[in-house]
Amino acid sequence: MELTRLLVANRGEIAVRVIRACRELGIESVAVYSDADARAQHVLVADRAVRLGPPPPTESYLSIPAVIEAARATGAQAVHPGYGFLSENPAFARACERTGLIFVGPPGDVMARMGSKIDARALMQSAGVPIVPGDTPHDQSDEGIRRAAERVGLPVLIKASAGGGGKGMRRVQDASALLEAIQAARREALAAFNDGTLYVERLIDEPHHVEVQIMADHHGAVVHLFERECSVQRRHQKVIEETPSPLLTPTLRAQITDAAVRAARAAGYRNAGTIEFLVEPTAHDGDARFYFLEMNTRLQVEHPITESVTGVDLVHAQLAVAVGRPLPWTQDALTQRGHAIEARVYAESPARGFVPQAGPLWLVREPRLPGIRVDTGVAEGDQISVHYDPLIAKVVAHAETRVAAIERLTHALHAFPILGIETNVPLLVAILGHSAFREGRVDTGFLDREGRALVDASVPTALPDPVRAVFGASAPSAPVTYRTGISSRHDWDPWATLRRGTA
Amino acid sequence: MKVEDLGSGVFRVSHEGRQDLIYVAGPTGRRWAFWCGQVFREESFAEAVAPRRGRHAGLQPVSAPMPSTVLKILAQPGQRIAKGDAVVIVEAMKMELPLRASADATVRAVRCREGELVAADVVLVELE
Repeated sequence: MELTRLLVANRGEIAVRVIRACRELGIESVAVYSDADARAQHVLVADRAVRLGPPPPTESYLSIPAVIEAARATGAQAVHPGYGFLSENPAFARACERTGLIFVGPPGDVMARMGSKIDARALMQSAGVPIVPGDTPHDQSDEGIRRAAERVGLPVLIKASAGGGGKGMRRVQDASALLEAIQAARREALAAFNDGTLYVERLIDEPHHVEVQIMADHHGAVVHLFERECSVQRRHQKVIEETPSPLLTPTLRAQITDAAVRAARAAGYRNAGTIEFLVEPTAHDGDARFYFLEMNTRLQVEHPITESVTGVDLVHAQLAVAVGRPLPWTQDALTQRGHAIEARVYAESPARGFVPQAGPLWLVREPRLPGIRVDTGVAEGDQISVHYDPLIAKVVAHAETRVAAIERLTHALHAFPILGIETNVPLLVAILGHSAFREGRVDTGFLDREGRALVDASVPTALPDPVRAVFGASAPSAPVTYRTGISSRHDWDPWATLRRGTA
Repeated sequence: MKVEDLGSGVFRVSHEGRQDLIYVAGPTGRRWAFWCGQVFREESFAEAVAPRRGRHAGLQPVSAPMPSTVLKILAQPGQRIAKGDAVVIVEAMKMELPLRASADATVRAVRCREGELVAADVVLVELE
């Protein structure tokens, strides 16, 4: 079957990225938007755009009827869900299947099984994939969860069965904090996933987060595209990711990728997915232990680093597999070449407890450098809204070696001015310069331990002379340099040119 | 030190044979500048910092750090609370954010309702 029109059921950088793939493949793209996003970048780069509803996600990007109707009205044959929003909602995948729409992802029932973290753990255990020791209480009351935590033994993680992205998850060190943590996790899980089911896991001490990208087709082929190390996290939100992992030995890499393929086969998986593992490092090579953490049944935020080192396009492959074509590559054809690192740029204030920021982007100039890829869904003059995820850009550096990739990424961040909204860019620069990161020995607790010092070090305490000189110079000719609206997009946005050429 | 306005918010500062490019945007007096991966805000380095609104002796307001939804109010007027206690839980961008008391205090007034959408810097609870 030939795919000619695709609806992208998402917003921001991932919608822009999927629409770019459509353009490269000659597929017509349909964007969807809420009233807050009527002039957002993902809307401007698409061939068609359909309004879903008011800004709150439940009335727009999370509304299954609205998205399905948008696909029907525009004659789209397939829907790409991106990540977040409806991407891991089995009801949405099934609604697409019922309506005769191709859902670019796994079948709804596979997603449901892997989306329940509790069922996924049971399935992995039966497939011989190691899991973190834990307890899933039938008694879901506060008392039931509390007793489960005591059975597992503190410290523990309280986790939402439907969870992801750190939402509905609480780390508990001592018994006095248990009740507040259980209630907060349940409230957050209910709000985010409409499912408050919780389970308890032993807290693995200072683990690395290593995940494996896999891809499966309708014809029984399952391949892995190696690992990504995502240990730089703040409260389970990834901040910097890289591949290859500095922790894995060739032996461990073979074991963990093999386990990932086994896991995908056991799940009857199709399309792109990621198996996340916790790796407990030890002093002796080959002695490190890894545990299945969860499976993400969608494209990951950090997929570009895998694309950089393997040289493949995962979205192209997703679209091919979705219409029943075989995987474009065999396992033997896939290799890791060089090193890639991604830094996530968040609209947040590290100095004020990482509160998300909303407001106008006065000035944004993306770095344009060899070996640097910037995936973003915003541009100068746009408004960052309070309604959605604070991720505004991903900067990916690819180079021959890890050291060269770190230098390249640092340089790119030095050349990425964002004014009007506070971001974590100064913090990203500080992390890349930290000795623990440079030496590749960062575990998932690193940012929570070192974050305060890194933030303090990245907040300027005095004006450097050149900046003082600029502020001191006569007032700028135009008092306010930010603009609203779309009329004045700059020439650094290649989409503007591309769109004019093909419209 | 020589400053040239190159347009579009870009300035060149030359000094002793060295030059730097600095990006500047924002209204006069509240401009932001970007230099070498760091952001500098004019107002943060102003000579005199004006006292913040609504802040006088003994009164410490708990305010919304950004536009958000009030999820849960955990304090009642007259209640004694300890430093670090969560007073209000707000939600923004799908994340819960507990707002905590910065010192031991008594709740004087609750100025918000659960479910209410509040703007940045709006006082939600007054503590004394």
